[in-house]
Amino acid sequence: MRPLLTVRGLVKRHGERLLFDIDELTLETASAYVLTGANGVGKSTLLRALAGLEPVQAGAVEFEGKPVSLHPYPQALRRAIVYVHQHPVMFSTSVAQNIGYGLVARGEPRARVAAVVEEAMDWAGVAYLRGTDPARLSGGEKQRVALARARVLQPRLLLLDEPTSNLDGAAREQVIALIPTLMEQGTTVVMACHDRDLIGLPGVRRLKLRDGHLEYRPHKEKYEGEHDEAP
Amino acid sequence: MSLFDATAHAFGLLFSGDAALWRIIWVSIKTSVIGLLLATPPAVLLGYAIAMHRFPGRRIAIWLAQCALSLPTVLIGLLLYLLLSRRGPLGPLEWLFSQSGIIAGQFVVGLPVLLAFTLAAVQALDPRYAETARALGASRWRIMSTVLHEARYGVMAAVISGFGRVISEVGCALMVGGNIEGETRTITTAIALETSKGEFAQGIALGIVLVALALLMNGALMLLQGEAHTAGGRA
Repeated sequence: MRPLLTVRGLVKRHGERLLFDIDELTLETASAYVLTGANGVGKSTLLRALAGLEPVQAGAVEFEGKPVSLHPYPQALRRAIVYVHQHPVMFSTSVAQNIGYGLVARGEPRARVAAVVEEAMDWAGVAYLRGTDPARLSGGEKQRVALARARVLQPRLLLLDEPTSNLDGAAREQVIALIPTLMEQGTTVVMACHDRDLIGLPGVRRLKLRDGHLEYRPHKEKYEGEHDEAP
Repeated sequence: MSLFDATAHAFGLLFSGDAALWRIIWVSIKTSVIGLLLATPPAVLLGYAIAMHRFPGRRIAIWLAQCALSLPTVLIGLLLYLLLSRRGPLGPLEWLFSQSGIIAGQFVVGLPVLLAFTLAAVQALDPRYAETARALGASRWRIMSTVLHEARYGVMAAVISGFGRVISEVGCALMVGGNIEGETRTITTAIALETSKGEFAQGIALGIVLVALALLMNGALMLLQGEAHTAGGRA
């Protein structure tokens, strides 16, 4: 597999406190990763830094073999990388307009936006929410709409921050079922999570952030027995 | 004249369509609305910019914006008077003792209110709205329009508060407008003048109009905010 994004010497500090200092992180094309680590270790911050939403103190980045900066964040990365919040917010328009927001921002023709949004609503199983006020959606529905909103942009890299946290039962299963289909369409997916079912998805590789450093772990290594800390 | 008689006379003036009275109301509303329309775009832009960006001197900018809220309008009137007087730098405009002068005053009086309230509304908005827009590839202008749309009830409150401030201020309109009958006499300057003459009926009638306007504007805001709450949106 070809490397999609390579990061070297990525340093993030909060004041004097070092949050992480990552020697190297390489994400390959059409691959899936879970980023684990204890609460507060900096998983979300790392994803946000890769999405250009969080400044870092140092770091060299290559995207598809070409050096790029994280600050200012180049348009090419903005088009290629999409970040989804742990608790996504819905714009107070409509569900369809939420899903089509990025396409409209890119200046796509209205007819294409409508067609792509329709397809994405079916994919995410949210077509029945067409007439619902986005503010009234449940946590699971918001997460699926947010995934559809990201997917329509066909990102090369999708960064999902705890996509199943605070979801349970059917809502959680519906979100988990969508992840493999994102991987199948060639998108590299990185999920910060503690969810064992996401970690156990076929083909998902594991990264662990511990004490400010990133460890690569073979798939599911030792995971079954780890209860002493958050995974 | 007793208070009851004066109030009865005031309603008589209002409902009889007294031309001088309605001319005063028209001048007040016209200058306030134009001043506010001119002040709203720069104030909203500035409020948004200060709320959304980190830059050296930001805290000072916020402090100045909040201080400007409590600036006496008579002082604003004095400064404008000096600027607009014949020997002032803006003298050639010949705006002193004209409706244009009052509009300039309303602009200066209303701008800090609009700015400070917009700043507060945008600062109070969940930052994930702007982040989501940015993460989805929105341009700076689209992010701004999205954020202002999400903070729209706060921005509306800013506009309504700004209107309340400009239509009810007396010092600046008196100094810059000159209280010329039929031309620059506004509701507040007329109330001050008529009361000083012992003519309470017109003052009370104009006071009723001010109260009615305040009730109307704030009622409209409450209705809009009520709809937002009903819809589950942000107010």
